[in-house]
Amino acid sequence: MSESAAVAEIEELTVEVGGRRIVDGVSLRVLPGRVTALVGASGSGKTTTGRALLGEFPSGARVTGFVRVDEALVGYVPQHPAAVLNPARRVGALLYDIARGRVRELPRRARRAAVREHVLNALAMAQLPDGSRLLRRFPHQLSGGQQQRVVLAQALLLGARVVVADEPTTGQDALTKRRVVDELAAVAARGIGVVLLSHDLETVRALAHEVLVMRDGRVVESGPTERVWLAPSHPWTRELLAEQPPLRGDTPATSNSYTVLRVRDLRARHRDVEVLHTPELVLRSGECLAVLGRSGSGKTTLARCMAGLHRGYEGEVLLDGVTLPPSLRDRTRAQLATVQYVFQDARASFDERRPVLDQVARTAVRLRGVPPREARGEAAEVLNSLGLADELAARSPARLSGGELQRAALARALLARPRVLVCDEITSGLDTVTRRGILDLLAGLLRDRDDLSLVLITHDLDTARLASRIAVLDAGEVVEQGSAEDILTAPTHPFTVSLTEKRLVEKRRDQIQPSSHA
Amino acid sequence: MSGLGSWAARRLLLGGAQTVAVVVLVFALTEALPGDAAVALAGDQPDPARIAAIREALDLDRPAYERLADWATGLLHADFGNSLTSGRPVSSYISDAFGPTLLLAGLTVALLVPVGVGLGVLAARYEGRFVDRLVSSVTLGVYAVPEFAFGVLLVTVFALRLDWLPPTAVGYGTDLLGHPAALVLPVLVLLSRPVCSLSRLVRAGMIDALASPYVAQARRYGIPGARVRYAHALPNAMAPAAQQLARTVDWLLCGVIVVEALFVIPGLGTVLMNAVAERDVPVVQGLAVIFGVITVVLNLGADLVAHRFAPRAEVAA
Repeated sequence: MSESAAVAEIEELTVEVGGRRIVDGVSLRVLPGRVTALVGASGSGKTTTGRALLGEFPSGARVTGFVRVDEALVGYVPQHPAAVLNPARRVGALLYDIARGRVRELPRRARRAAVREHVLNALAMAQLPDGSRLLRRFPHQLSGGQQQRVVLAQALLLGARVVVADEPTTGQDALTKRRVVDELAAVAARGIGVVLLSHDLETVRALAHEVLVMRDGRVVESGPTERVWLAPSHPWTRELLAEQPPLRGDTPATSNSYTVLRVRDLRARHRDVEVLHTPELVLRSGECLAVLGRSGSGKTTLARCMAGLHRGYEGEVLLDGVTLPPSLRDRTRAQLATVQYVFQDARASFDERRPVLDQVARTAVRLRGVPPREARGEAAEVLNSLGLADELAARSPARLSGGELQRAALARALLARPRVLVCDEITSGLDTVTRRGILDLLAGLLRDRDDLSLVLITHDLDTARLASRIAVLDAGEVVEQGSAEDILTAPTHPFTVSLTEKRLVEKRRDQIQPSSHA
Repeated sequence: MSGLGSWAARRLLLGGAQTVAVVVLVFALTEALPGDAAVALAGDQPDPARIAAIREALDLDRPAYERLADWATGLLHADFGNSLTSGRPVSSYISDAFGPTLLLAGLTVALLVPVGVGLGVLAARYEGRFVDRLVSSVTLGVYAVPEFAFGVLLVTVFALRLDWLPPTAVGYGTDLLGHPAALVLPVLVLLSRPVCSLSRLVRAGMIDALASPYVAQARRYGIPGARVRYAHALPNAMAPAAQQLARTVDWLLCGVIVVEALFVIPGLGTVLMNAVAERDVPVVQGLAVIFGVITVVLNLGADLVAHRFAPRAEVAA
């Protein structure tokens, strides 16, 4: 194809902030109707590159190179679509304003109807068919998926020739991912150039025509997706694409394992709505139990009931045969120490003003009555063993990466010497390499600590592989449970089948690949 | 929406209870003051026999709870009772004085909202630059000056030295609208501090809103600057400002005693001050009811407005 065919181009872009090059000599061409993916771990410079297409750079950045965009119409779908939706205005407000800019040439009288038609069209294109009802709602009244589609509709309404999508599938379950892939494929099919910034390799493979692999601000490898996948030339690409090694925590010897935690006839409510019904769920000592389900399936509520964070339930949670009080406040220190919880959003679970080490050490002081000085020593030791050096531990949370903070959060829980560790989606916001590191760590913990059992709350099948047993949750009901091997290889319940049917790649590929090659 | 309706109903009931509590408290406090209406009426002839006679004539010798109960029964028929000192119905006191107070409050609010919000938006738009520093330091400075001092200063300069405006409203009665010049200085004094607090709140909210991703998105998609500021950023800055505005209106309606006294305006504040001095309990109680109702309604209104501008927040009674 000729040079002029590109709808947007970046050439030799270098972005320097405070003497550090976060993007270093990146070149990129966005072709109409094609999906170009920038792949890399967090901090590899892919978001900065994507934002450059919007003409936006970090404050105080020194920029060299050049960015050319046709008619300056670039749409942006950020990782958290809720952030770009105005909480105080109805969803329609910005859409109408964008549409007004497109009907200036019409006579004044005809504008109103034209604006509305434009907006509804754009919503329909973004796969929101009943747009007129949606327009009157506030952003918080939409689901995450609807929010994402509304933001996509803004870009389509603008008449964008390029859409930059930042991590559109991160933290989503398999079915939602599939839907997002369909949406973006439909956008590309309209002749719009899509730039996909992602560390979700499955999505990239399903969607992208071209891949640029980034590391430390540089493109280390680029080419057609299939070529990069089948024959990666750079060692970093190979590491990124490496199949997940089987991580299975050894199934505990049945002879000396006993029941640590038992959930009996649990019915949990939010307000007056029952969101979870679990007749029986057992956690044995030394095992890893994965609770697998889509978002909204009630899996986090189950975890929160176990940990005493959600007290609106009937039924029992028993620890060593003793009923645990529903609320944290009524549990003894020993009970609190025994069941520890690690949150999905590690950053939100730390006080941003105090050094990580102090916060980690506090657990031992609070729950085990260890003197502060000893607790700090112990905290440093555990942090070291989880791969956080003293220098990192002394920093404030803001200066640690997501993966490092998640390790610190694990260390904080371990300092209580728990026997049950509940991990709620602790890898879902992390890139492939970091996620693998955390999962390795969990497998190591299971191996080294005989008395530790894990409850792994996840929507991700690869993460669930770590477990020896899996319980599948759908709409608040346990639809299937059994050994991990059985569930993953021979699921019986239709919902589990649909989850494990992860032929996302093959499903999409035949639909979008055959378009003309550059 | 029914949740919001029942919440408003609960709030109104609670407000009614609060008003009753205020009335009882005010009654108790006026009783606790040394002296009563009889002493005040006796004036410079404090002969004990005469005071006792007046007391009997005014029913003041009956136990306090009976008088309160009588008055409360009257209230149920919208009868506020009669003044002890003049015998005129309390409702005529209130209706006469409400006009000037309402006029002052209305003018003040009509100027306060555009000026306060406008200054706040302006300062936020040029955050950290000269305009912002000017607006911020002037508003902080003016806010630090108490009303009476500011009022005296304005009267001295504009009425006594320059002789541009009348110093007080003496002689105009309740027909203030016929003499707009007499209103300029009181309204300026009433505006001074509310404008500062409102503009500072709006500025703080606007700075957050202008730095937000949703405003960045609106700019990115080519929405004109003024529209971004007023239609997309400002609504997010309005929730705290609405609460502040309700408190200000409440203050304006429920006795700006100092300003009314300074400019001799026959409003509710003046009536309240005189009634307390004369121990005219029915008038004080009537005012307490009016002030209580105004406060409850305004705060409910402010919460509803704030809920509209911050729809994510849960409503809490």
